[in-house]
Amino acid sequence: MNAVAAIMKKEVRDAVSSRWLVLYGAAFALLALGLSYLGQRNLGSVGFENFSRTTASILNLCLMLAPLIALSLGAGSVAGERDRGNLTYLLSQPLNRWELLVGKYAGLVTAISVATIAGFGLAGLAIASFAHSLDVTTYVLLLVLVIALVAVMTGLGVVASVVSANRVQALGIAMLVWFFAVLFFDLVLIGMVSSTSLGGAGLLAAVMLNPVEIVRILAIIHLEPDLQVLGPFGSYVLETLGTTGATAILSAALAAWVAVPLAAGIWLFHSRDD
Amino acid sequence: MSDKTVMVSVKGLTKRYGKVRALDGLTFTLGAGEIVALLGPNGAGKTTTFKCLLGVTGFDGSVEVNGVSAAKRGKEVRRQIGYLPQTPAFDSGDTCEEVLQFLADVKGSDPVRAGELLQQVHLTEQRGVEAGRLSGGMRQRLALAAALLSDPPLLLLDEPTANLDAENRREFLDLIVELRNEGRTVILSTHFVDRLGEIADRVIVLQQGRLALDATMEELRRAKQPGRWYTVNVNGTEPDVLLDALKGIGIGAERVTPVKTHFEDMLAAALAAGSQEEEEPK
Repeated sequence: MNAVAAIMKKEVRDAVSSRWLVLYGAAFALLALGLSYLGQRNLGSVGFENFSRTTASILNLCLMLAPLIALSLGAGSVAGERDRGNLTYLLSQPLNRWELLVGKYAGLVTAISVATIAGFGLAGLAIASFAHSLDVTTYVLLLVLVIALVAVMTGLGVVASVVSANRVQALGIAMLVWFFAVLFFDLVLIGMVSSTSLGGAGLLAAVMLNPVEIVRILAIIHLEPDLQVLGPFGSYVLETLGTTGATAILSAALAAWVAVPLAAGIWLFHSRDD
Repeated sequence: MSDKTVMVSVKGLTKRYGKVRALDGLTFTLGAGEIVALLGPNGAGKTTTFKCLLGVTGFDGSVEVNGVSAAKRGKEVRRQIGYLPQTPAFDSGDTCEEVLQFLADVKGSDPVRAGELLQQVHLTEQRGVEAGRLSGGMRQRLALAAALLSDPPLLLLDEPTANLDAENRREFLDLIVELRNEGRTVILSTHFVDRLGEIADRVIVLQQGRLALDATMEELRRAKQPGRWYTVNVNGTEPDVLLDALKGIGIGAERVTPVKTHFEDMLAAALAAGSQEEEEPK
């Protein structure tokens, strides 16, 4: 077993035994079930909705909850070892810094993905048992997008962990990132659109600055292919790029959001004197 | 040194933290199989020296372990070093076996060796016990087993007995004597010097990041403070008989007291002699 695999295996084992990840999976399942159940109730008949409506309902839940857990656990990765006085000991082993960081990152993404799949899977099974129609493809697509978002946000959390002196500071930075990406960015976009002549292209570029928005739009493209919910911006995207083009560009941007923070984290970790 | 393979070569090692020089031009060479005591007060640079030897921190100068540069090929150097930190911070929920299994995976060592090492450090019965429930002495022995996983030729032991009571310290030092007999090179940083005369071949003393003393045990035994006192081996002659003899030949001695030579006395004498030499005008 190489060093990356060894670190990854340990990280998965530690994360799975962490109560936070279990709580996250359980909360995901319960909230997905609850949203589906209550959504149908609001339409006048109590019962479980089908997959398509459920995926739309829980999209916002995914975009809030997944980044929160990914950023938090990522923030604890290196800073936690530093706090426990264990980082120098790990670095004294025959491994490179990048191997330690990549192993921790891969382990966390795997563990959070497993918890997400478990939560989603339990909710999906329950909904499939009661709903009249199934849209498994869309449900799975949303799951893939959530895991991609987990990969991005874990990387950002790891960067926060590398540059921080301790876990509390890392968590503080991670929560600021979460607040900005999940809650504040939409307000910034609204302000920019109303106060500047940003245009469709400018708005698309601005969207790519936030991985949460990228995932939101990718999900909407496949949930509502006519993009009516996005208004004039949706029309612009469809007319200039088409569904395939928009998916390709947004997916590439998401991939960059995975690669760039991880590369930056490795570079910063190498430049530190731990 | 000439008849031994060079295991560690340090030349002009300087480490700065901002404007502070934690190590200042340190130079020494260790032969394979030597047991070296690295002494010095807190902040003298002992742990920093270990970090440089491990290649986990940047530095100026040259550090080579078994001919491999710590600055350029840190991972390869670390493969040849077993490091025991002052306070090993294992995950408290992991059992002794899990701790060693994880580190064996990282080092690419044979996992079977973990069981053998638990036996060597007398922790076989504790193999399933969580690291967080081990006593300080047991935790240090577990860390020693971890350091030995890859069968390294060089061991760096950073204050391994600092947090141990007398009994655990004695047991741990016995283990180091065993390692000495296995022919490993060991650098032992410590504050406790009570058994160093028995364990170490050589002593390196750091003061404010500089080399204050580098002497073999034999050189230490010869060290003395000229003109103040002498230790004379008189092959069992009684003190009163010796005092009478001294007076008989006109030496104004007041008292003859039998003494046992302690390592601390030898070290203090060597350091004092060194500082006197430095102060002498040239």
